[in-house]
Amino acid sequence: MLGNGVRQNITGYLVVLSGLFMLADLYLIFVVAPTDAVLGHVQRVFYFHVPIAIMSFLAFFLVFLASIAYVVRRDGKWDRLAHSCAEVGVVFVTVALLTGIIWGRPLWNTWWTWEPRLTTTLILWLIYVSYLMIRSHASNQQQAARYSAVVGIVGFVDVPIVYYSVVWWRSIHPSPVVGPFAQANALEPIMLWILLFSMVTFLLLFAYLVAERTALRNSEDRLRGIRLVARRAGR
Amino acid sequence: MLIVLLQATLPAANLPFLFAAFTVAWVAFFAYAFFVSRRQQELRKEIAELRRTLEQQEPEDAS
Repeated sequence: MLGNGVRQNITGYLVVLSGLFMLADLYLIFVVAPTDAVLGHVQRVFYFHVPIAIMSFLAFFLVFLASIAYVVRRDGKWDRLAHSCAEVGVVFVTVALLTGIIWGRPLWNTWWTWEPRLTTTLILWLIYVSYLMIRSHASNQQQAARYSAVVGIVGFVDVPIVYYSVVWWRSIHPSPVVGPFAQANALEPIMLWILLFSMVTFLLLFAYLVAERTALRNSEDRLRGIRLVARRAGR
Repeated sequence: MLIVLLQATLPAANLPFLFAAFTVAWVAFFAYAFFVSRRQQELRKEIAELRRTLEQQEPEDAS
């Protein structure tokens, strides 16, 4: 495990780096990226919306891996990682849903429609909100870790469903622009490069938030341990 | 030329949606980062205070 000093240094570098990348990303999105001929300026939401959604998939994939590792090894560090990634993932998927709703309003003339991509993403959000609720309502840490690990493993099933939903059921949501089902030349090269830069930017932000949340979870566990010692000593 | 003409005729009505989407994203991430770092500071302070209290009580118990 990393020491506190090393972890604080890494977190410090990550926050500075993600801040610098975010500024450069805003410049690329608002100044360099061409305006979409059909959708107009609102299409620039794409450079935020898509990377944020992909980072939420990454978060839930890490929850899945860490939950399996916890079930196999019963080591608390995997539970701490899964818990932190789940919480950060919920933040990312919430922002992805909200930016999608705002982007969809001028294009589809509605705030919400029960089409496959939106519906499966809402289900994904509900699964990981339940993950966090199970944790907060469990009677002890071991129970919270065990129950949430099951949800973390089973709940991940929805992630590929969200991704493939636009391939399996064609509807008004655009097809994937990255990944195995992306159409060739779906994006202009400059748009693709800016999208990739945005992905790196949000990857840095994601890493920073997970590092901070994991440090917070470590502090919560440490405090719980000290309180337990004090209570056992009859103080 | 066609693209330039199209861009010139695109409605600016979409701009509030663009800024709303970016504002929501920024506010959400900043609020979460702020919440986590503030809670971390509170916990560190609480841990330090609890340790100090325990250390002060140990010599009293020994005597």
